[in-house]
Amino acid sequence: MSTHTYKKFESGDSGDLPDKMTIYQDCMTQFNESPVNAKRCRILISRLLRLLANGEVFPETEATALFFSISKLFQHPNDSLRQAVYLSIKELSGISEDVLMATSSIMKDVQNGSDLVKSNAIRSLSVVLDESTAFSAERMLKSAVVSKNPTISSASLVTSYHLLPISENTVKRFSNETQEAVVDLKPFPQQDIIGDYYPNSTFITQYHALGLLYQLKKNDKMSLLKLVRQFADSNNLKNQLAKVQLIKIVNELVQRDPQLFPQFQGLLYHWLSNKYESVQIEVTKVITSFAATNQRLVSPELFAVAVQTLQSLLTVPRVTTKFAALRILNRLSMVSPDKILICNPELESLINDSNRNVSTYAITILLKTGTEKNISSLISTITKFIHEVSDDFKIIIIDAVRTLSLNFPQEWKAILNFLIDVLKNGEGGFKFKNNIVEALIDIVSFVPQSKELALENLCDFIEDCEFNEILVRILHLLGKEGPFTSNPSLYVRHIYNRLVLENSIIRSAAVVSLSKFALSKKDTSLRKSIVSLLKRIANDPDDEVRDRAVIALQFIENSNERISEEFIQSKYTYDFQSLESVLSVYMNNNSDSFETPFDVSNVRKITEDEAKALELKRKQDQLHNSRLEAIETCTADGSINNERADAATYAGPSSAEDQSELLASKYADELLSIEEFKPFGKLINSSNVVSLTEPEAEFVVNGVKHILKEHVIFQFNITNTLNDVALDNVAVTCTPEDPDNAILEELFSIPIDRLLPSTEGAVYVAFKKSEEIVMEGFLNNLTFTTKELNPETNEPFEGDEGFEDEYEIDSIFLNAGDYIKNSFVGDFTTVFDELPNEEVAVYNIQENITVQEVIDKIIVNTSCLPLENTQFAQSESNSHILKLFGKSALTGVKIALIVRIVKSSKGVALKAQGKSENATLCADLINSII
Amino acid sequence: MTDSLSLYSVKAVLILDNQGDRVYAKYYSAPHVPNLSLFPSVKQEKEFEKRLFKKIHKQESEILIFEDNIVLYKEYMDVVLCLIGPLEENEIILQQAFTAFKDSLDLILDSGIDKKNTQEHYDMVLLAIDETFDNGVILETDPASIASRVTTPPSSEQQMHLDLDKGLMSAWGFAKSKLQERLQQGI
Repeated sequence: MSTHTYKKFESGDSGDLPDKMTIYQDCMTQFNESPVNAKRCRILISRLLRLLANGEVFPETEATALFFSISKLFQHPNDSLRQAVYLSIKELSGISEDVLMATSSIMKDVQNGSDLVKSNAIRSLSVVLDESTAFSAERMLKSAVVSKNPTISSASLVTSYHLLPISENTVKRFSNETQEAVVDLKPFPQQDIIGDYYPNSTFITQYHALGLLYQLKKNDKMSLLKLVRQFADSNNLKNQLAKVQLIKIVNELVQRDPQLFPQFQGLLYHWLSNKYESVQIEVTKVITSFAATNQRLVSPELFAVAVQTLQSLLTVPRVTTKFAALRILNRLSMVSPDKILICNPELESLINDSNRNVSTYAITILLKTGTEKNISSLISTITKFIHEVSDDFKIIIIDAVRTLSLNFPQEWKAILNFLIDVLKNGEGGFKFKNNIVEALIDIVSFVPQSKELALENLCDFIEDCEFNEILVRILHLLGKEGPFTSNPSLYVRHIYNRLVLENSIIRSAAVVSLSKFALSKKDTSLRKSIVSLLKRIANDPDDEVRDRAVIALQFIENSNERISEEFIQSKYTYDFQSLESVLSVYMNNNSDSFETPFDVSNVRKITEDEAKALELKRKQDQLHNSRLEAIETCTADGSINNERADAATYAGPSSAEDQSELLASKYADELLSIEEFKPFGKLINSSNVVSLTEPEAEFVVNGVKHILKEHVIFQFNITNTLNDVALDNVAVTCTPEDPDNAILEELFSIPIDRLLPSTEGAVYVAFKKSEEIVMEGFLNNLTFTTKELNPETNEPFEGDEGFEDEYEIDSIFLNAGDYIKNSFVGDFTTVFDELPNEEVAVYNIQENITVQEVIDKIIVNTSCLPLENTQFAQSESNSHILKLFGKSALTGVKIALIVRIVKSSKGVALKAQGKSENATLCADLINSII
Repeated sequence: MTDSLSLYSVKAVLILDNQGDRVYAKYYSAPHVPNLSLFPSVKQEKEFEKRLFKKIHKQESEILIFEDNIVLYKEYMDVVLCLIGPLEENEIILQQAFTAFKDSLDLILDSGIDKKNTQEHYDMVLLAIDETFDNGVILETDPASIASRVTTPPSSEQQMHLDLDKGLMSAWGFAKSKLQERLQQGI
């Protein structure tokens, strides 16, 4: 052997990756040599593992050959080599098919190996065993579980855990031993230690045993309860991971059955004062997340202690602990900011924490717990802070400020000044600036008073802005809002500057924006100057700019004002979902090579007010949903897209919202595609989906009410949850609750011919109504014929006549609210005062119901949009004022409501005050708000 | 919710150098459950590592949320150690695991954690990690217990000694089993 090759095995590895083929060749020769040189082999394995960890892949034949030679190393008794061999077996098992051949060597080690390699051997079993061989390891795993050596016992428990998906039965056979292992304290053996270490016994075997035990019993509520009782009361669990695991089990139990919570309350209380921070964090997590959905079951004292625990965790020096506590507080701040107010002093001291993640979290929480009193001081604090942090954090803070502007519209001035300051003076990239502009656009559209100041400052900003996308958005905003301000010509000058100085993309946007000013009624001279400006632009070198200018001129000079207004400053947009579906139907049904033009009148139009209402509603819902499930809006990771994804994955507010919208437009499309309903004309409004049965009933029914001009259609969506019975001729009979005074006249109903198991179908019942608002309730009965299914053909047995059956479902009510659509106004109080007809109604509810539940109910019943952030009750207070605004879907008549809610020991009292352009509508709605 | 009760609480363990290149990386997935791994290909893993490195390099934050994961990290001279866990896992548990990982490396690498040392004792580093995590399950949180189970590479002289030791052990074991056999037969 040359000195060169000799040295190769002596020196350690560092620097560049070794060559793949060389390693392969070396491995093949060294491993097959006899006698085995343990030292060289371990160095080679180490190099091989380095290759694998770097993502190098061996072709399957070579991997198998490697695997085969490595398994030869089992004949060498050196433990040090053994450990390396097991590592490589685990790594190669993914690539090679023939892992099974190592099984017998491994089994031998499990039985006779030294204590050191025994656990390595056991753990490698999880990759070499498969469904057919797993059972053979039962005895070995079982005896290893009861081993006094914690490492061996843990190895066996963890391996069993890995094997669960393929052989649960095998593992189940030693569940008694697993149970033993939870309580058995196994100290780390001090005798066979390599080197001068002083191991502490962590008793982590308890954690593994408990984790495995849970998987074995997870479907058995009673034995889980028993398990918690057994391990919680006495001081059985020493390991903190095991304790946390036990708390997670409690969490799982109360999430499945909230009624269990009270019996765990004492236990949770006890855990709050546990010495381990991990336990404290986990318990507060359980309490606060449970309280978000089942507030009534959590005693206020427990909640308060949980918050105090979090408060004290904020002051510890450990970053991770602070971080964890802040995450929980951040979640809470979205749900019930008033409950964590006591943490404010601690949070304020964290603003200047050296760790930016911590300080950003603290600020976002403070922004949410902020009250009208301290907002301006808070904003001045972050004005100082924001220039020092990185872009990511800036974006998070801007986002928090943006929500703030929606919650405290009256504080717009301070918020606006802050945003303008960071926009003009802040250093930052596109995302950051774009977020500020988005926040400003939000303020402009939802807080009308702020419009002029914001627009003026945006004008200044575009004089010196490097981002095309942002410029285009601002130009669009100027065109949309500018013509209605007191001094439109100011904006024209700024826009024209862009036309002279910028590139073609911005020029074309500026043309569109400019043309909108021409229609301003206030100033006719402005129109002339814009026409002359546009004429000049019509000679622009760029096609798009020229085209747009010419089109704009055409419309402006068109004598028909209606047309010009519609095209230049259209008041509505199309509902995109509905547009998309109608267009795709058009494309699919195309039989005459597009001779018939596309008919756009079927597409739902959304006016500007409605669009705003929708948008505001979506934002509110986002806040609202965050009460139910915690979202992590503040991710220190920062990038805004991720943040959204984060929110979507963990709470799904946006996706859930989209889904309900999608559902509504889906129902509407389905309805319109039914031949019988064609003569009824256009769909005016559809209600929310109301469930008419318990969600776990055999037949789950929910209803949707569709209002058309002279008709009402009830749509009953029926799901057959039985798995071997088909329902034939499914129909719904609707009987008026008060037959003598029935106004609605039933025309016909469309039954479902056959409803197969686990499918959903819709029954429609159509009524004729007058053009007025009609309110009526109906008792409903589901009638059908059940037929048993032949499991082979999935068809009913031949000759089976089936049983006729009936099933009673809840009543459906047509309310005044079903005629109302969400609508938005910027200045609720003025509008309310201006509306002519007033109605007042008083209600007393003698139920034990929270203020928030009343509010939610009223919002659903009236289908109005809650304004000025009044949809959330202050949790401590017993009174609330709710402001609602809507529009009649039939006539477009506005209606505004103020509902005052007072809760006393006897129940809840409501005083609803409504104002509307139409007295009847007002009275009708006021009388059916709850 | 069921997911949070899983013992698979670590998604990946990374050792990156001061350029964000991989020194060691292991993305865990449960052995008999298909496709639980964080990324489908090595390429995406490495891209993720680059992105992560950009975020944490020269930022003494210890913990952050990155692309829907909790990341714990510690930067040394020319390497950075990272642990990636799921968003819903208890941060302090992850911190414990991470401490076990980094402190055990500190114990076995005599002259401290750096790139050269890590590469030279790659086998030991891997063994330490293997004794800390098993397919994403936290196996042990006491650094000394972990370090005590990591064997040093056999050296030529030591090998003899070890073999002798082993031989004596097995001889004793053989004698013991024989004795037991005899005794049992006697009974």
